[in-house]
Amino acid sequence: MLATGDVLTGLGVGLEAVSAEVFRVKPPQPLPIPANHAGDEEAQGAKLREAVDAVGQSLQELAVKAGETSAEIFEALEMILQDESLFEAALGEIADGFEAGTAFVNAIETFAEMLSGDPTFEERLADIRDLGRRVAAHVHGIALGLDLPEEGRYVIVGEDFAPADTAQFTKAVVGVITIHGGPTSHTAIICRSKSIPAVVSCTAAKDLLDGTEVLVDPVGDRVVVGGTDSDITKAITFVAKNPEPIIPVRANIGSLEDAVAAATTAAEGVGLFRTELLYLSSTTRPSKEKQVESYTEILKAAPEGPIVVRTIDAGSDKPVPFLQMPHEENPALGVRGYRLVQDHEDFIVDQLESLEAARVASGREVWVMAPMVAVATEAEAFAKLAREAGQYKVGIMVETPSIVYDLRHLGGVVDFISVGTNDLSQYLFASDRMNPNLGAMLNPWQPALIQALAQIAAESKKNGIYSGVCGEAGSDPAFAAVLAGMGFDSVSASRSQVGAVRTALSSMSQADAEAVYQAVIGARSADEAKSIALAKLAQFAS
Amino acid sequence: MPTITGTVTIEDPIGFHARPAGQIVKFVKESGLEIRIGKVGENLVKANSPLSLMALKGKTGEQLSVEVDADDEAAGQSAIAQIQDFLKG
Repeated sequence: MLATGDVLTGLGVGLEAVSAEVFRVKPPQPLPIPANHAGDEEAQGAKLREAVDAVGQSLQELAVKAGETSAEIFEALEMILQDESLFEAALGEIADGFEAGTAFVNAIETFAEMLSGDPTFEERLADIRDLGRRVAAHVHGIALGLDLPEEGRYVIVGEDFAPADTAQFTKAVVGVITIHGGPTSHTAIICRSKSIPAVVSCTAAKDLLDGTEVLVDPVGDRVVVGGTDSDITKAITFVAKNPEPIIPVRANIGSLEDAVAAATTAAEGVGLFRTELLYLSSTTRPSKEKQVESYTEILKAAPEGPIVVRTIDAGSDKPVPFLQMPHEENPALGVRGYRLVQDHEDFIVDQLESLEAARVASGREVWVMAPMVAVATEAEAFAKLAREAGQYKVGIMVETPSIVYDLRHLGGVVDFISVGTNDLSQYLFASDRMNPNLGAMLNPWQPALIQALAQIAAESKKNGIYSGVCGEAGSDPAFAAVLAGMGFDSVSASRSQVGAVRTALSSMSQADAEAVYQAVIGARSADEAKSIALAKLAQFAS
Repeated sequence: MPTITGTVTIEDPIGFHARPAGQIVKFVKESGLEIRIGKVGENLVKANSPLSLMALKGKTGEQLSVEVDADDEAAGQSAIAQIQDFLKG
């Protein structure tokens, strides 16, 4: 039972908050269990044809109703619905004895299984499976409408909403909460484009009851039961007071275009240059000359300051065509990043030597680091390879939990470390980054992550190692202040966020940043940590 | 009818996703051509099925084989060029 003041954490969509009464979307009437037909194969085929066409017709109507922005989504869905191979597969299921509805759901499932495991399609799979449900419902004469009120103001709460659902949103829908679905789910995309405040991936919302007043507070990534205007998390506007930020703000880049664009920002150098692109788009191993040429061009174009280059970060889910990368059951935990040295040391040495030649040719200050280092001996081996190849600062990424405990052995071994917060979260919380249902675990404000980061900053300092952060977390101006407060020496942000992070870190003193960090230490949840930090920051920013 | 073959590269930064698959299927239906696509050295699928095309799970930078049953070389090459265009993102 939820009480007034209870906070339900999720991921916010939008910048405006809204409060209204909860309207729970009823789970649809269940579909009949899979069944066989009575031997009337031909009639079942005709029934299926009719149902597919009827659902196609309704998608066309929804496209008109949804208007320009979403029409394309319905057109794409209709094309999938009318896929000839899909229909043939369903006829095959009917021939195997299944009745029309079951046959279509089975056929959809065959394709869904082929598409699963690919991040490009993961969040679209729900939409594709929904097509199967709709056809089966039509076959059995079941209505799947949401029955949303036309009048009044409601925050609707449901598991997740398919395109056919969001198209039924009435003007009474002023806020949306979903229990599943991530920041790139269809619900999130539609709410963003229609400016409906939403909180997605909000697991605790399953206990919300019809009629409860709630505040949807997307900036705070939360829903507050019985919340009022005073609970709304405001986006803070930072005003730079000092000419320089308290720690350098660098930019993340991955290509020549990025380097050129980053040079137009106020970034002080590059905190993460991802080198995969050069290799992922190449079917044969690029010659050293080609690598030197590409790197020199990019180094020359990059914003002024040091350039931190990460050696190749590929794995079986991000395969390099010319390296042998056999299929792995669990690529995030497989042979990736620096682990490629097992079979491809010559390739990594090639890359290090190319970077050295490019460093000399460009005259830039280059730092080189390896990704996915798990133990001190790997760091030592990489440092040896790198120092033999070139005259640059040598470091490692900190993204496995194990290396955090080995930092004490790395004084004098590496010059610097850089934390990849996205992967560190994934490994620390045992939560797949690609799984849209685990978004809440990957929130950088999770107290356990903050604790781990503080330990990394302190251990680095103690061992005389320069420390930076180059993951997504550093792109959030408020979080960047916490990182500076912990003692990190620099942050690197995505290009579009460099200005905002720099302004934030120019609006306060190092003592202010430490005060923000000290204030969040005691937080017991991501939501609490974020709201404490924002409240503290509001004092300095105003 | 002769079969014209060619190779295209996925240049779209998000890979071979729903949009290019839809564009290709639309093109196949409108042109009335029989076109097959697949990874180089693997089985090809009929390009009139968006789901089969998406199930190739083509990644950025990968090459795909294309076969077109067309009246002449020029018509086939123009269809292949059109498909390459859809894969530019």
